[in-house]
Amino acid sequence: MKEIRFRLAIIIAAIVFSVYLLYPTYVDYQKTKNLNKVLDSKKKDLLVGNPNINPDLLDKKVKQIEDSIKASDPSYVKARAQRIKLGLDLQGGMRVVLEVNTTKLINKVAKNPDEVFKGVIAESEKEAALSDESVVDIFARKLSQRGIRMSRYFGSVRDDDSKIISDLKKDAEDAVSRAMEIIRNRVDQYGVSEPSIQRQGTRRIIVELPGVAREEEAKQLLQGTALLEFRLLKDPELTFSIMQKIDNVLAGKSLIDSTKSDSTVAADTNKTKKQLAKTDTTAEQRQKDIEKNHPFFAIAHLLDSQGRSADAAVRGDERDKLTRLLNRPDVQSAIPNNVEFIYSAKPFKNTNDNKDYYTLYLVNKEPELTGGVITNARANIDPQTTSAVVDMEMNSDGAAEWSRITGANIHKRIAIILDGVAFSAPVVQGKIPGGRSQISGMANMEEAKLLEIILKAGALPAPVDIIEERTIGPSLGQDSVTNGLTSMVIGYILVGLFMIFYYRRSGEIAAATLTLIVLFVLGVLAGFGATLTLPGMAGIVLTMGMAVDANVLIYERIREELGTGKTIKASVEGGFTKAMPAILDSNITTFFTGIILYQFGTGPVQGFALTLMIGIITSLFGALVISRVIFDWMVAKGAKISVG
Amino acid sequence: MRIFENLNIDFLGKRKFFYILSSSLFLIGVVNFIFRGFTFGIDFKGGSEYVLEFQNPMTVGKLRPNIENIGLGNVELKSYGSSNAIIIRTELQTVPQTLFPGIIKKINSQIENIYPGLPYQIVDSTAKSVTYNFPNSDTANVMVDRLFREGFQTSKTTADLTNTKMTVSIGISDLIKINLKEKLKDNTFKVLKEEQVGPKVGGELKRNAVIAIFLSLVMILIYLGFRFKFIFAAGAVVALFHDVLITLGLYAALYNIIPGLNLEIDLTTVAAFLTLIGYSNNDTVIVFDRVREMMKVHKTMPIEEVVNLAINKTLSRTLITSGTTLLTTLVLLIFGGEVIRAFAFTMFFGVIIGTYSSIFVASALVVEYANKTKKKLQF
Repeated sequence: MKEIRFRLAIIIAAIVFSVYLLYPTYVDYQKTKNLNKVLDSKKKDLLVGNPNINPDLLDKKVKQIEDSIKASDPSYVKARAQRIKLGLDLQGGMRVVLEVNTTKLINKVAKNPDEVFKGVIAESEKEAALSDESVVDIFARKLSQRGIRMSRYFGSVRDDDSKIISDLKKDAEDAVSRAMEIIRNRVDQYGVSEPSIQRQGTRRIIVELPGVAREEEAKQLLQGTALLEFRLLKDPELTFSIMQKIDNVLAGKSLIDSTKSDSTVAADTNKTKKQLAKTDTTAEQRQKDIEKNHPFFAIAHLLDSQGRSADAAVRGDERDKLTRLLNRPDVQSAIPNNVEFIYSAKPFKNTNDNKDYYTLYLVNKEPELTGGVITNARANIDPQTTSAVVDMEMNSDGAAEWSRITGANIHKRIAIILDGVAFSAPVVQGKIPGGRSQISGMANMEEAKLLEIILKAGALPAPVDIIEERTIGPSLGQDSVTNGLTSMVIGYILVGLFMIFYYRRSGEIAAATLTLIVLFVLGVLAGFGATLTLPGMAGIVLTMGMAVDANVLIYERIREELGTGKTIKASVEGGFTKAMPAILDSNITTFFTGIILYQFGTGPVQGFALTLMIGIITSLFGALVISRVIFDWMVAKGAKISVG
Repeated sequence: MRIFENLNIDFLGKRKFFYILSSSLFLIGVVNFIFRGFTFGIDFKGGSEYVLEFQNPMTVGKLRPNIENIGLGNVELKSYGSSNAIIIRTELQTVPQTLFPGIIKKINSQIENIYPGLPYQIVDSTAKSVTYNFPNSDTANVMVDRLFREGFQTSKTTADLTNTKMTVSIGISDLIKINLKEKLKDNTFKVLKEEQVGPKVGGELKRNAVIAIFLSLVMILIYLGFRFKFIFAAGAVVALFHDVLITLGLYAALYNIIPGLNLEIDLTTVAAFLTLIGYSNNDTVIVFDRVREMMKVHKTMPIEEVVNLAINKTLSRTLITSGTTLLTTLVLLIFGGEVIRAFAFTMFFGVIIGTYSSIFVASALVVEYANKTKKKLQF
């Protein structure tokens, strides 16, 4: 009995733990159901209010409502993050494999390409489409067959072929990092939840965007060339007065009396920010006042109360709200039409509340320069200050422009903007004549490396091709979820009923064990953050059919033992012991194939392999531990055991 | 309930009959393979596939003329599931160059429509895109935005200072969608699924699939060789080959025969094959395990009788487990939906052939070997 108690404790712990792991999934399901109900009714209201509304606009409005509901209740995000992850085939979305186009890259870095070069490149491209050899190698081989040295087109005359080849390969690898950074930047701004951007091998990037409904837009996101711009930041005074105007518009005040009490606002918001950490009632009251009287500054907190800069910080979860406010037509009319607000690309951590904040800048709409003029960028350590810096070089056209721009804007700031978000906003220290400039102010080498990649993205657009693309529409995903769940329920009922019908009381034990096995499989999936796919659900259904195998083996053995006239206790004992080797051998080999399948498969197939493997382990636990405990307990109690 | 109690069927005595059965099943597969071949899905072949669901009733026949005159050559159309959805499939990766003039004409007319009298030039044209130049960045921005809304895949080109260039990517899906939007104005559609696999990726996936199947067979051979005598491992693996080959033959034989069942060889099929290997081997191991046990007890009994006894003793378990597994695959076949129907079908058939082969192929081969060598098999 004592021994049973220990095993019983393990089983109960496993059950409790699985339920605990699955609880967020349940919460998420309920919340999503409620949310969809609310959104549907809102959508209907919108349609009634404006029957001819453009479907795109309608979607956007509904999305806004959804975002604001989610922003108001953090438990949505929390439950979503901890639920069983659904694969792209179940929630809809897009999986894209991108490959850096090395041919284009070679073309780009080659100096004085002639007809021979173009011919060889075209030939290599054709050959590379069919072979695994890298384009660089094929290209080099073809050149050497013609007796041409690589240095004719690349590097300097003294470089030998092998060095140039390795340099080109390095370029191609750099291009992958660049492309990844560009894509990550855009995906971050696009606001896809749970995106996955992975590097595969040396030339490929796998991007998975769950829940993307507009695949055209997403594709545009992935493929377009990166837009790198240098734009002038507006002076703090001007920026502040525009912010003031916006604030007044939002607070519903008229524009005329807005010039008064400029500095008090800045001081006010700063005070409240400092006091936010404390929760005394006066601070709360003040905060409410500020929200009412200064709706803009309540979200966009000025970073410098002395007014030396007008950079404002916006909490990550309030960013969308601010963007919406800024896009209001009445607010737009308060902003001069040659400037716009942009955010920093990466957030910084506020030490007070430990939350992510983005910086808000006011910049010219028209860029001073675009990234095409940059020829090189490199992250370095400045020997004098030992801080991280980025050196960049420009071509002669760019250098001339740059010299004019920097000369005219000494002590002003220029924002380095990639695809609409700022990566850095350094101050111009002096006129830069030769195009060689140094950007300082990076916190560490990592940041400098990132800026290097960003600057190069303008210089050398990383040409990427989509080589594999799979998109599942949300409705097909929903159908698949329904089909999967239906199959699971029906499969469970049929197998359970069969077992009970065939083995009677023992069959009931098997059916009960089966319930726990399914619970454990789902619990393990949730616990490891593994992804459930449709083949994965099929794997669970199949597991139910195969899981009872261990029980069947044991029961058949028990019957045989009983047939030889042994006592019930001895028969149960013998049944379990004798069935053991067969159960282990057969499951281990199936487990092997599961591993291989996982290794070789992609997405959905991996999901299947995973549930198959988890299913094998849990069904072994089910038959060898759970069923055993129940039998032992029944034997100890002297209960009648029927094996059919 | 006891159905298969105390059976004593002489399975091995009839093994000649089952050799003939297996061989003829295999031959049927080979003949079908020669005359009909395998049909690979786009996972392995490379190509583009789209599933469009239309709002109003739509049939393959009605859609075909609208697709055919786009000029994509050989396009395969098939109905998908029971709804108004249709699969459109082509082996092409990029739009044929011959279609470019027409597409460019379409873009030009759109541009002239949006901004009559605007000067523009085509500055670059590749296999997948066309690049336009406009007088200033504002017009370029407007064009990128407006053309995108018309269904063109536009983006800004910024590798220069001017910011006035627009690149329009032209892919097969864009072409199909633009054309259908134009021709079927009263029957809108949404994209259920879109897949595009490059020929190189397809080749890689195919190679990986073959490696995976062979690797799992080798691993099973090694593991069983370690746990049992080598001849048992060999018997088991031959049986697995038998299962895979006959199921493959079935694919060749039944492709396009059963309506609603799309028997193409793709990644999910390979997953089904590997699971089938695991399952079928499962059965075989259980029979062998009993043989091993029996041989220890009945030391003098001829091998044929031992094996027969083991099969009879495990028959009840074999049939019940096969039954429950078959039941679940049947559930998947009926309720699992279009996406995994082929998978469920493969598994359904695989369970049957796997059960059959562990009794009649794997065990029979071991007996055959023992009889031939006249050696006493030992563990």
